[in-house]
Parts: sequence; C-alpha cells; structure tokens
Amino acid sequence: MASRIGGCRRPFLLLFLLSLASQTAFSWKKDEFRNCNQTPFCKRARSRKPGACTLIADQVSISDGLLTAKLIPRPIASQEEGEENQQIAKPLLLSVAIYQGGILRLKIDEDPALDPPKTRFQVPEVVVSEFDETMLWLSRVSTEILDGDSAPSSVVYLSDGYEAVLRHDPFELFVREKSSKSRLVSLNSHQLFDFEELRVKNEGEEWEERFKGHTDTRPYGPQSISFDVSFYGAEFVSGLPEHATSLALKPTKGPGVDDSEPYRLFNLDVFEYLQESPFGLYGSIPLMIALGKSGKSSGFFWLNSAEMQIDVLAEGWNADSGLSLPSDQKRIDTLWMSEAGIVDAFFFAGAGPKDVVSQYTAVTGKPAMPQHFATAYHQCRWNYRDEEDVENVDAKFDEHDIPYDVLWLDIEHTDGKRYMTWDSVMFPHPEEMQKKLAAKGRHMVTIVDPHIKRDDNYYIHKEASEKGYYVKDSSGKDFDGWCWPGSSSYLDVLSPEVRSWFSDKFGFDSYKGSTPSLYIWNDMNEPSVFNGPEISMPRDALHFGGVEHRELHNAYGYFYHMATSNGLVKRGDGKDRPFVLSRAFFAGTQRFGSVWTGDNTADWDHLRASVPMILTLGLSGISFSGADVGGFFGNPEPELLVRWYQLGAFYPFFRAHAHQDTKRREPWLFGERNTKLIRQAIHVRYMLLPYFYTVFRESNTTGLPIMRPLWMEFPSDEATFNNDEAFMVGSSLLVQGIYTERAKHVSVYLPGKELWYDLLSGSQYKGSQTHKLVALEDRIPAFQRAGTIIPRKDRYRRSSTQMVNDPYTLVIALNSSRAAEGELYIDDGKSFEFLQGAYIHRRFVFSNGKLTSLDLTPNNKSSKFTSQTVIERIILLGYSPGPKNALIKPRNEKVEVGLGPLVLETGLGSSSLVVTIRKPSLPVDKDWTVELV
Amino acid sequence: MKVAFFLSIAILSLLASWSSSSPSLSFLGIAPQDENYFRKETIKCRNGSRKFTKAQLNDDFCDCLDGTDEPGTSACPEGKFYCRNVGHLPTSLYSSMVNDGICDCCDGSDEYDGKVKCRNTCWEAGKKARDKLQKLIDMYREGVTIRKREVEQAKEAISKDKAELSVLKAEEKSLDKLVNQLKVRKEQIEKAEGKEQLEKDNEDRPNVQENFESTEASGKEDSLTSEDDVIGLVEQEESKSEHEDTNVAEDGSESIEDMSKEEIGRLVASRWTGERTGQVEETGSGADSNEGKDGSLNKPSDGDSEKNVYDHHQSSITDDLDSSSVVHEPGLDKQTQFLGFTIHIQSWLRKMQDVSQNLLRSVSWFSSPLDNLDADKIRKEYKESTARLSSAQERISSLTEKLKHDLGVDGEFYTLYGQCFETKQDKYVYKICPFKEAVQEEGQYHKTQLGYWEKFEESYSAMLFSNGAGCWNGPRRSIKVKLRCGLKTELTDVDEPSRCEYLAVLSTPLGCLDGKLKELEGKLEMLQKEKPEGHDEL
Repeated sequence: MASRIGGCRRPFLLLFLLSLASQTAFSWKKDEFRNCNQTPFCKRARSRKPGACTLIADQVSISDGLLTAKLIPRPIASQEEGEENQQIAKPLLLSVAIYQGGILRLKIDEDPALDPPKTRFQVPEVVVSEFDETMLWLSRVSTEILDGDSAPSSVVYLSDGYEAVLRHDPFELFVREKSSKSRLVSLNSHQLFDFEELRVKNEGEEWEERFKGHTDTRPYGPQSISFDVSFYGAEFVSGLPEHATSLALKPTKGPGVDDSEPYRLFNLDVFEYLQESPFGLYGSIPLMIALGKSGKSSGFFWLNSAEMQIDVLAEGWNADSGLSLPSDQKRIDTLWMSEAGIVDAFFFAGAGPKDVVSQYTAVTGKPAMPQHFATAYHQCRWNYRDEEDVENVDAKFDEHDIPYDVLWLDIEHTDGKRYMTWDSVMFPHPEEMQKKLAAKGRHMVTIVDPHIKRDDNYYIHKEASEKGYYVKDSSGKDFDGWCWPGSSSYLDVLSPEVRSWFSDKFGFDSYKGSTPSLYIWNDMNEPSVFNGPEISMPRDALHFGGVEHRELHNAYGYFYHMATSNGLVKRGDGKDRPFVLSRAFFAGTQRFGSVWTGDNTADWDHLRASVPMILTLGLSGISFSGADVGGFFGNPEPELLVRWYQLGAFYPFFRAHAHQDTKRREPWLFGERNTKLIRQAIHVRYMLLPYFYTVFRESNTTGLPIMRPLWMEFPSDEATFNNDEAFMVGSSLLVQGIYTERAKHVSVYLPGKELWYDLLSGSQYKGSQTHKLVALEDRIPAFQRAGTIIPRKDRYRRSSTQMVNDPYTLVIALNSSRAAEGELYIDDGKSFEFLQGAYIHRRFVFSNGKLTSLDLTPNNKSSKFTSQTVIERIILLGYSPGPKNALIKPRNEKVEVGLGPLVLETGLGSSSLVVTIRKPSLPVDKDWTVELV
Repeated sequence: MKVAFFLSIAILSLLASWSSSSPSLSFLGIAPQDENYFRKETIKCRNGSRKFTKAQLNDDFCDCLDGTDEPGTSACPEGKFYCRNVGHLPTSLYSSMVNDGICDCCDGSDEYDGKVKCRNTCWEAGKKARDKLQKLIDMYREGVTIRKREVEQAKEAISKDKAELSVLKAEEKSLDKLVNQLKVRKEQIEKAEGKEQLEKDNEDRPNVQENFESTEASGKEDSLTSEDDVIGLVEQEESKSEHEDTNVAEDGSESIEDMSKEEIGRLVASRWTGERTGQVEETGSGADSNEGKDGSLNKPSDGDSEKNVYDHHQSSITDDLDSSSVVHEPGLDKQTQFLGFTIHIQSWLRKMQDVSQNLLRSVSWFSSPLDNLDADKIRKEYKESTARLSSAQERISSLTEKLKHDLGVDGEFYTLYGQCFETKQDKYVYKICPFKEAVQEEGQYHKTQLGYWEKFEESYSAMLFSNGAGCWNGPRRSIKVKLRCGLKTELTDVDEPSRCEYLAVLSTPLGCLDGKLKELEGKLEMLQKEKPEGHDEL
C-alpha cells in the first residue's frame, strides 16, 4: 500500500488527511515546524554540489591502535579553477578505530591543540563500556593506489571478510569486501563533506536565527557538519526513526521527488502527526540499514544528538556532477547534515541484516530484559479519574474474564501536575489502591514528566532550584517554559549529579504513595515546551558543562529516561528490573525501557502506519515498543478498535490508550460480540506470553528486534523487501494486519520455501506465495513457520502473574524434513538474578518422531532457577495421525496420543482437530525425550 | 504427577468439609442440579462436540472446548466453576479464577491446590447480604405503595387535562367565531368612520383605521419582538464567543508573535486539553474553545431547538419567580390554577356571547353617523375576546405539549412534568428537568447545557437528554439519568464516565417496580433457604 502512495501522490494524501483533521479544532501545523529551507545549516548543506569538498587526508598513520590522519585543504596548486569554497582554516583530526565483529568507528573533530573557541559536544554514555573493550588494536596499515588515483589510499583490517580503505585525495573512507574489492559503505564519495569550524564572529556578521517569534542567539555561530554516505548493492535503506513513514525509506531528493524535504531527526512533540511525512517526531536515531539483493546488509550510525537532516537521494540525483564512482555497483546515496557536534560515525559491515542490528546494539547496548508483567497487556487512559474509577475498571476486567497486567494513570492523578504527588481528592489512598491491584497480581504505572512546576512549595522544584539543577536559558537564569503545570523548569539531566539526585526521588521514602508494584512513564521528554520554538526548548539554552541545548537536544529525553530507569533500579536495591516507558528516545534507549509511538489517531491509516514505525524502532535497537491501541486521538469505530487489538496483541509493547476527550473504550463497552473479539485478541497475547518472553530474552542477548521485518528472517527473498504490512514476531511467527474497514479478503505473502501453519486453525499454506484469504472477524492472519516449536500457556488468568505455575503447551510445526526446533526461556520474571544464570533455557528439537529437551544454560552459572511447571500438551502440526502412544524417557512411561483442538477457545481457530500428546506432564526444567510409537 | 497429587489431597480435604451428601470427588465445581449429567461412564461435552470418559472428568486436561469435562479445574478457559457457598448465594466463576491464588468463592472452594488458604466467609457475607437485601425490600415495599398512589394521581390528572383540553378546544372554536364576527363588525365601523372622517376634513390626514391597525400590529410585534430578543440575545452571545474563539483558534498562529510566553504556552496546551486559555477561561462563558470555529454548534439551527431555547428562557423566568431554593414546582397547584382559569373562561364566554350578540344585533348596520358608544363597545369586546382567545390557545398548546410526551406505560411520569431536580457536586450544580433539559451550573453565570429531553430508555428505567453543548474535539454533551427506587424523588449522583457523556441517578418512588420487589423477595427467600442448620463447621 505504501508503495502506491508515491512521492507524487503525497500532496493529495496530505490534503485528504488535513481535510479529515479539519473537523477537530487543531491539527498538525506544518508551518509551526522548521523545514529545511528555514534551517540555515540544512539549506546550506543541501545546496552544495558534489565535489565541493576539497579536503585530503594528510599525515596518515597508525597511532595507539587507531588509524589517524589530518584533514587539510588540498594545496591551492591542485585546486580546480574558480573554486571559492571557504574550506577549513585549521586541520581536522580524523581517527578510525576497528572493533570486533565488523565495526568501524570514524571520528572527525577539531584539533584541541589548536584552541578552538569551544569544545564540540560528544554525546556521552551512549556507547556502552563493553564496546570499548572490543576495540582491535591496529598495528598495520597497507597502502594501495586505487584505480585512476594518483595519491595512495591506506587499507586496514576490519574483519575476516572486510577491510577499511581511507583514500587520501580526495578524502574518502569506505568498507569493502576483501575478496571482490567491491564496496559496501562509503563516506564522502561525492565529496560533499563539510565541517564548519568554530570561529570568531566576523565584523557585521549576523549569527542570530529567528523562527516564529523566537530568537536563537547562536553565540557560537555556525558549526554544522554534513557528508554523503553511499550504500553499495542496496535495494533500499531503512531506519532513521522516528517518522511515520514506510519501512523502506523513500527518496527525498532527486528525480521523481516532488515534495522535497529531508528526513528530519529532531525530537518534537507533534500534535496530531501525519503519516507519510519526513518531519521529525518524538525520538531520533541516526542509524540507517541497507539491504541488497543477495541478502547482504550494511549499516551506518552517526552518534550525534544535534538536529539532523538526512536526504535519501533518488537515482540520478547527481547526473550532472561529473564525479565517477564504481559504476558497476547499484548504490543508494544519502546526505547527512547536522547542526553541531562532531563526526562520530560507525560503519557496520553486516553481512546480513541481523548482523547489522547485532553490531549496532554492540555499540549502543542490548535491550533491557523487561519484567514479565510488562510483556503482557496494559490498560491506559488519560485519565482514570479517581480511585473509584480505577477500582471499577479493574473489577470489570474480572467480570468480563479479560486478563490485564497494568493499569496506568496519566497526568491528572497528580496534585496540579506536580509529578510524584497525588491529587488528594481523587487519589487519597494511593498505596491502598496499588495494594488492591497488587493483590490480584497487577501493577500500576504513573506518569512522571521532566517539566517541574515552578512552585516553591513543591519539594522537587525547591530542591532543584536551590541546587541549581535546572537547564539554564541563554542568559544563565533557570530556563522557564510553559507546560502542563504552567510555568515550569526542566531538570538538566545531562549532569550525572542531577540524574543521580533525580533517581533518588523514586525511592519509596521520597515518592510518597508509591509502592513496589508501581512503575513509571516518561512523557513530554523531547522536551515539550508549549511556548518554546517548535514546541520545544530554545537551542541556546545551556546545560551542564556549557553544552548548548542545540548540541544535546535529541538526547535530552534519553538522559531523562536513563535517570528514571536508574531510579527504579535504586528503589529496588538493584533487585527489581525497572519498567519505564518513554516517548522521546535516542540511540541506546533500549537499555532503559520501552517506547511507544506517541499521540497517534484512531483511524485506519494510523493502524497501518504503526507497523513500519515499530519495525523501524526494532531495527534501531528499541525492540520493546508499541503504538497506542485504539489510537490516542479520536473515537475508533468498534471494528477499528477490534482490529487494533488483534494487531496490538503482537506489538512488543501492548497498551491501549486514549485522549481524555474520547469516549470511554474499555474492552467491554462495545457490546457482547466486540467484547468477545477483544477478549480473544488479548487471550492470543497471553497464550503466547512464553514465546514472547523467550523472544524478549533473545533480544536481550542479541539485540534483535521482537517484531521484525520479513526480510530480516528472509533476507534473500526479494518479495519481502517492500512489505511492511506483515511482520515476524521472533523467527517463528508471521503476522499480517487488516488495515481496512469491512475487509472481505486479505492478501498475505508467506516467504521462504517451507510451509506455514495458521496459528489458530493449523491450516497449511505454501511459502513463496501470496495467499488471498477470507478476512475473518475474529482475528488477523497469523502463521507459525514450519520447522519451529512455539511454547504457549493455554490457561488464561486475571493477569500474567497468576500464570506462573500454569502448565505449558508446545506446538511443533513440522517442516518438509518432518523436523522442528524451538526454545523456551523462563526466569523469575522480576529480578536481575538471571544475569547470574538463574534461568531455565531449553531447546526443543523434534526429529525422527522424537522430541528432545536440551539444556541451553551455561555450566558456570552461579545462581539457579527452578520451576515445578510441566508441559501439559504437545501439539504436532503437519503430522499425520497414527501413533496412539508416546514414550517418555527417562520416566519410561507411555502417554496417550490423540486428536485435540489447536486452541482452547470456541470461535477462535477451526473445529478441525490436530495430533495431540495428552498430559505428558514433562517437567520444564529437565532433560527428557518423547517418542511417538 | 505432583499436580495430580495436590489435586487429590485438596479434593479429599475438601470432601471432608462437605456435607455427607456430596457424591464423588470428581464432582468438584459442579452445581448439585447438574450432578446427574456427570453420573455416566461416558459423558458428552455440552456443545456436543465430543465425548469423554469419567476418568477425564476434572483430570486437569481440557478435552471439551466448552469446559464440560473440567468444571473443577482451570484447564479449560471456557469452563465454569460452581461454588456452593453454603450460608450465602452459590456463584459460578470463570475457570481462570480456579487455583489462581486469589480467594473468590466465599467458601474458598476455588483455591484447593494448597498455595493459598481461604477462610470461609460465607456466613458473615451472607448475613450482610441478607440484611442489606431485607432493607432494600422494605424500601421497595413502601416505594411500590407510593408509586401506585402516584400512578393513580397521574392517571386522574391526565384525564382531567384531557377533559380540559377538549372543553378548551370546543370553546376555542366558538371564541374564534365570535372574534371573527366582531372583527368584521369592527372593520365595517371603522370603514364608516373613515368615510365620515374624510367627509369632515378635506385635509389629507392619516386615517384612523390605518392608525388603529398599525398600533395593533405594533402591539403584536411587541410580543414577537420579545421572543426575538431572547433568540437574538442568545445569538449575540454566541457570536460574541465565536468572535473570541476565532481570536484564539484561528488568529493564534498569526498573532503568536504578539502573545506573551505564557499565552503561547496556554494556547499550545489547549490543543490537547481543549481548555480555554488565559482570561477567557476565567470569564467562563461556557463555550469550549473550538465551538467558536463552528458557531452553529451551540446555536440551535432547526425549529425544534429554537423552541427549546425559547422554553429555556421561559423556564428561567419561572424559576426566578419560584425563588431559587425551591426547584420543586408543585404541579398540582399549577393545574388547579389553570383549571380555575378555564372555568372562568367558560362562564365569561357564555356571558360575553350573549352580550356580543346583543351588541351586534343592536348596532344598526347602516346607521350613520355612527354611534360612538357602539363603536367603542365593539372595539372593547373585540380586544377582550382576542385576548381571551389567545389565552385559551396558549393553554391548549401547553396542554397538548404536555400530553404529547411519552409519560410512561401508566402515565406515571406525569408527576415529573414541569419539575426540576438538582444536586451539587464539587463546584457544579446539576439540574435535571424531565421532559425538558439538563444543565450544569457553575456559579451564577456559567451554565452548560448537558442536553435536551430526548426519551425514556431501557424500558422507562432511564431518561435520556441529548444534543447539549458541543464538546471540544468530541460529541455534543448528553446525559443519561437512571431511575432508582427511592422514597423521595431526588437527584443523588452525577458522573461523567466518558468525556461529555454524563450519567446521573434519580431516586424516585417511580423506580420502585412491583416486579423487581417480587424478584428481591424471591432472592431473599433463596438466601434464607441456603442458611445451614448449624454452621459451626464453617
């Protein structure tokens, strides 16, 4: 569908959406946000012509295990005539570091020895310390003269299959395959590299920038950086969250692009955002992943938290540039532009997309392992008004036999938007309220935002202002902006001291009315400032260490999220895994919690847009993410709500949420039929929780997403490249959403050579085919991949907490060799003991009619986790009925094999029966075999 | 195996605590009346899908999707667990609640796997429930009696109204005839007068007839104008607020540079909240910030709502007269007053008809010059008759309006007609006027229309007012008023469960239905039957 909304149709779509939105008082206001032409650094960088960069790499050498060089202007004699490029005044320092696993890190900065007016900002605490330890100490550089060059190039080792080449003149850096010498990723191949060095203001020069009545004093003047990056052999590129766009990023400039605007990375609180727009949303991750025909993938990540704009250039964009590049390779060129900071860029050599994600998360950290409850269903609304409301909603879930794990309280629960306080009228007994929920195994989440009400009677404000913990305005006073509570200041979370102080505020003694079952939600941390430029903080506001907000902006929310998450760890004495949902994010956010896609709208387009958005987040390390089920703004028709629940049940983060002006939409409010449909959708999630939790653990160790593009599992199947309507959950499950009203049919492409089994009916479908299926009311298409084993729990409870001791079901989907494999991961669901080995991790292997349970836990673990839980049912898909018994070893007991239902819910699935091993009662933490006889 | 072991221990211990009539340990979670169904060697799933053996009954493995084979375990998601709850009412639980570590049945029978110990609380809970039920029944009994009386009164009043209406209609007809006759006569007189006048003066002076008519017309217009004024006033207010809102909503982006930082902050916040910004909020003109965008939102556009606005205006006058504290308008008094008026009309009419006939006869059609005395008499009679006619018509229309409403199966809601009920919650006063409207008042000036009368719902157990003031980004306000049995008619509770959708409870004897009383009595009887003889073992 996305491909049909090509560049030329976008204006119409926009018009259409705007007209839809016009019935509400306000909608997304394009002119409230800067476009590239209104952003001087972007306009400048974009207007530069290929070949404009005249820098060369000088003094190339190996020092301290790095390949280093100085970038200097090409000597005048060799410069072409008429070039008036005001290039750098002082040489730039370049270094290339190589890390284990095919990762190259390029840094370019001003030389501190040459006294720049200010140290440029490098984003701290994003690259994890373990990564630094994986640096390979370079000791050797070889020299080579590339075809057609006169100057030499320096070549260093990158990994077994790849090497890095630094071309001296013109300056260029690329990764290539050792054997074929074909390029993978390169920087400055079009010589668009530009680095505005900090300098003294020229006489009469105007540095201030004005936008919509806001003045940015820009005391340090221009300091932007831009360069081109090319991906070779690429069919498409993906990444750069957060935009409400397709998974494969469409070109933003060049032939065939009408509405030319780069992808903007600038964390913004965008009211009623639109899909198919390159404008920035709440979070930013400057990571791009390319995928080519052979399934070969590469990646590029620029660690920089200033405003960034990235163009994906359409083929032929440089037709008149006259620059020659290796023309035998298909290529996607991109242009990266940032307002400030340094070049701290990472090249990922792949080779497959999973490798790229793994490489990226080696740099920025693996996703945190969530508590088990957090992987279940969350019920939210702005706002559950008072304790009675909370009690009623909670009771209704039980009354309707719908499981849920977490009830959320939005801003209205506080005393006048003073976070970590309670409205004394609406919530007079917060502890009692949480305890009541906890007695049913349920949790609560309250919102804590970074804007602090400027009220001297508010303890947080009092302390923060006394200690000088706020972000300062350009004049050095505490920055005073407007947000929910009115006049507010913002904690300077760049400072480790402020973060540490703030994280202590989550202690039970400090956050009055909080209990151990309470977790936290960070909103508005872009930061949102209602009366600020573009609804955010002025760029000349000052942070810890004299860092300008412009340099830090995209990471502000990240540090706030970090402080909150650390606060919860501290609160639980390091024994309780934190759960913090954040709206703003940056590279590395995955270490601190989950993310949702912000204020979406209750319409079908937003339902559809949620999939590429979550997929992109997953590719960028943030595997624990979701979209508001039902849509935040507006009132969904029951059909849309049901379809959203059916899709949302497969989001890694599964939460329903709604704006305060919408009608109540708890699952039981739309008649018996819809209640049943929503219950079934939620049941599917609860049934699959053991599988989800296992995939969460996989993500925690490998960095792989929970929800994956089809091409991540089938990188050589080109038919998957443009597909962002369907997705994989882990490696075993494929899900196709239904995104249209009253759909009669739904088409789903099933990749690969093997069969697929309908998740709920067991029907078989052939791979490498598009199937046109009848759209059923009670579910969206979901399939188990042949050759996999999925663990389930078929008993539903009030919440996941009561499921702990419930028995498992294993669903074995046989492939063409009548074999299958799968895993099950279990731990206490709460603590960090799993880091010491306190977990159960089994691999189930089925072949030759025998199922074997193998232990995957390492031998050297210092802690142990045991479980009395058993497997109560084993289902075989693709197995012809026949055997009457199965022999269990080492117990040497025969159990009955017969036919049974695939799922234990009438209406879901079909009435056809599948081969079932009845009551094998296999202990989940032991080795055993089950043989069909 | 361990599970099975637990199960049997638990069942055995449970068995020990049960009365000796309990038949078999596998009958856990089965209602006594259903036990026979399970007394066979092969048992059918209730949905007929398949069969299972006695050994498979409650063996903690789901064989029937509908849960027939697992009434006592959590194995089938669709199963139901029956708790006997001796001493209280038996209940049926979702299987998801069996052995989940939470005590759901008051007898604790749902938790038997040993993980949690549940105290048997049936006797206490049962007693509490019985006492509560008894109190409710007592109230219902009294309420039902009051209701019956009210129904009788309402019936009587309705028939009186109907009778009055038919009398009035008949007399409207004759009055109308009389007025017409008088009018014709009056016109003839005036024509003659005009002619006379013309003859008298040769000057071109405005003639009397015209003069007279214009006065009359302007008099009519006066009354019209007052109506118009009401509407006009509303419109004026509307357009005023529209104007303000336009400033906020549309000029916002343009004038943003002229706004203070705080104003901008408030403006942007208002996108999410829809709250008015700055001073506008404090003046509290009642309209939400975007209503102004579409001025018609608040302004009734069709005839019906226009009428409502008019009614609304009238009612506030009436309310003022009634003095603020007494909202309860005794309908009966009003009725008597009107009835008296009717009787008065009737006798006056008879008299007047005689007089007028005489008058009409006595005045010579062609006598000239005119007898001034006669002419004045005719004019006076005409004026009086017209006034009487319009009074009668007014009364007819008010009665018709009242009687056209759905007043309930027995017309019982007649008693609520013309009454208003109010309650104060936090800073708001909610005022419900059945058959008319519902409003929310904040202070003296801030009034929000929650809805206009629409209909009864849920077989006369709820009243619905809809089409109230529009909501920012949302629907028009509406309120549902649920009727509860109570001895006095009063508004007890108002809530806003969904934004701009209100829910109120009106307790009234009209809500005390005989059927419901019987049901409650039956329930109590059952509760008392469940009472065990000696419940010490519990």
